[in-house]
Amino acid sequence: MSDEAELYRKAFEREREARKAAEQVVEHHTRELYLKNQKLEESLKQLKDQQRVLVQNEKLAMLGTLAAGIAHEINNPMAFVHANLESLTDYLESYQKLVELQREALTLAPDQQEVAGAKIAKHVADADLEFFEEELPELLEDTRDGLERVREIVGNLRSFARTHTQERQAADIVAGLQSTLKLLNSQFRTEVIVQQELQPLPMVQCNLSELNQVFLNLLVNAGHAVEGRKGATIGVATAVAGGQVMIKISDNGLGMSEEVKEQVFVPFFTTKPVGKGTGMGMSIAYGIIVDHGGEIEVESTEGEGTTFTIKLPIES
Amino acid sequence: MKGVVFNILEDMVTEKGGLMMWQKVIDKAGVEGGYTAVSTYSDDELFSIVGAVVAELDLPAETVISAFGTYMFGQLASRYPVFVDSCDDLFSFLESIDSVIHLEVKKLLTETNLPSISCERVGDDQLVMDYRSPRRLCVLAEGLIYGAAEHYQRPIMIEHPVCMHKGSDHCDIRVQLTHE
Ligand code: HEM
Ligand SMILES: Nc1ncnc2c1ncn2[C@@H]1O[C@H](COP(=O)(O)OP(=O)(O)OP(=O)(O)O)[C@@H](O)[C@H]1O
Ligand SMILES: [Mg+2]
Repeated sequence: MSDEAELYRKAFEREREARKAAEQVVEHHTRELYLKNQKLEESLKQLKDQQRVLVQNEKLAMLGTLAAGIAHEINNPMAFVHANLESLTDYLESYQKLVELQREALTLAPDQQEVAGAKIAKHVADADLEFFEEELPELLEDTRDGLERVREIVGNLRSFARTHTQERQAADIVAGLQSTLKLLNSQFRTEVIVQQELQPLPMVQCNLSELNQVFLNLLVNAGHAVEGRKGATIGVATAVAGGQVMIKISDNGLGMSEEVKEQVFVPFFTTKPVGKGTGMGMSIAYGIIVDHGGEIEVESTEGEGTTFTIKLPIES
Repeated sequence: MKGVVFNILEDMVTEKGGLMMWQKVIDKAGVEGGYTAVSTYSDDELFSIVGAVVAELDLPAETVISAFGTYMFGQLASRYPVFVDSCDDLFSFLESIDSVIHLEVKKLLTETNLPSISCERVGDDQLVMDYRSPRRLCVLAEGLIYGAAEHYQRPIMIEHPVCMHKGSDHCDIRVQLTHE
């Protein structure tokens, strides 16, 4: 072999060794990446588990909110149904007395009838039976109305009760919004005006109880945002646009700064005092909407108000 | 197949027939012939190089592939000494291929295509290895096992009664320790 060729052979060997060393470096890094990736996957799994627990807690918190609302809503009609029944019981007693007096009179001799008649007239006057005759239809009507309201509230509750079924069913979102609004009635004190512009929507394949949870979260937040403000108004509107249904929930409350707006959907992000908000409401709402193949967007101006817009595909 | 397998094949061919022979082989196979250990190349490319080697040497394919397996073992053992160092005897080494060695290989080299191998001891002297792979490289496996036996200085005999090349869904490779 010539000297030249020998030099090339040596250079070749050196290069080969250098390449092997380089390959070993690559392998080393690849292994580190592999291990880090494994760790990340573990952490992710842990986080997901924790999130599941939190979602469960949030659901329980929602239940609390709901229960408070429902108790209030049912208490009112029940109170006057109860009062009406008391009056009815009183009147029934007076009527029974009247019937008794008349039966007595029938057994008396003709010369005694006049005295008995006076006795009956006195009872009618004392017990105010004339007034009661006028009142009776209204009393019954009110009682029926009160019971009807209780029945409605119970019906609205049903739309929340299906939380455990994962299935999607064709459902009327407007009806869902209406029942959620009814349940929140007591939460929005009289100062809050709720403006509804609910256009009928086509049936949407969805999990309505989950969507109701989203509406509830948005409405509760809107309620907080307008609390104690003059002319407090919450708007709820629906519309159909390009194969999608659109639900807008707006308020003229305190609004959000850019910084807050960027983080509304971040789990645990809250500007509310400790113990008041968990900061899970919006992140769960976001998860539910994305799960339905939809979008949720927020527009907000500090000091002026906020609008959340939800878009959902009609066919999912 | 990973570049490292190509590199080892190149080493074997150049060791036996010089650079000239390797050039001839890659020309004949119609391939570029440059491989980095950590990259992945098509199995067909490896098979056409092996085909060219077989034609060049005028030996049966099985003989060449098995010899390559034995050579490959020596090279792998020197590139990755930890795997052989951590096992004291042949059978426990062979038993660790699937659960330790190839598993670690997956971490070092991404996108690997490794076989699945499970072992069962029959008495003190026999190990039955159940080999499964879409590449059906059981003969390479045999060669690798001979290489390992050489390394552990245990004479062996291999039987191959069940084979993917004969229509089975797996191969049974029986490794018998021989005592002379
Ligand atoms: C130090 C020990 C070993 C190391 C580091 C090692 C590593 C590797 C690597 C890097 C490959 C190529 C993978 C790819 O291209 O994606 C491979 C393939 C293979 N290994 Fe191992 N190996 C070792 C021992 C063995 C032994 C003892 C056997 C014997 C059964 C074996 C059986 C195989 C077979 C048959 C393949 C070809 C791929 C297939 O069949 O699908 N290996 N091994
Ligand atoms: N309509 C809104 N107007 C102004 N700020 C809002 C509105 N909706 C949400 N935010 C802001 O986004 C934050 C996160 O809302 P989110 O519902 O996730 O949590 P939260 O209301 O603080 O607590 P909770 O988990 O109890 O609902 C709120 O703390 C608030 O700062
Ligand atoms: Mg909230």
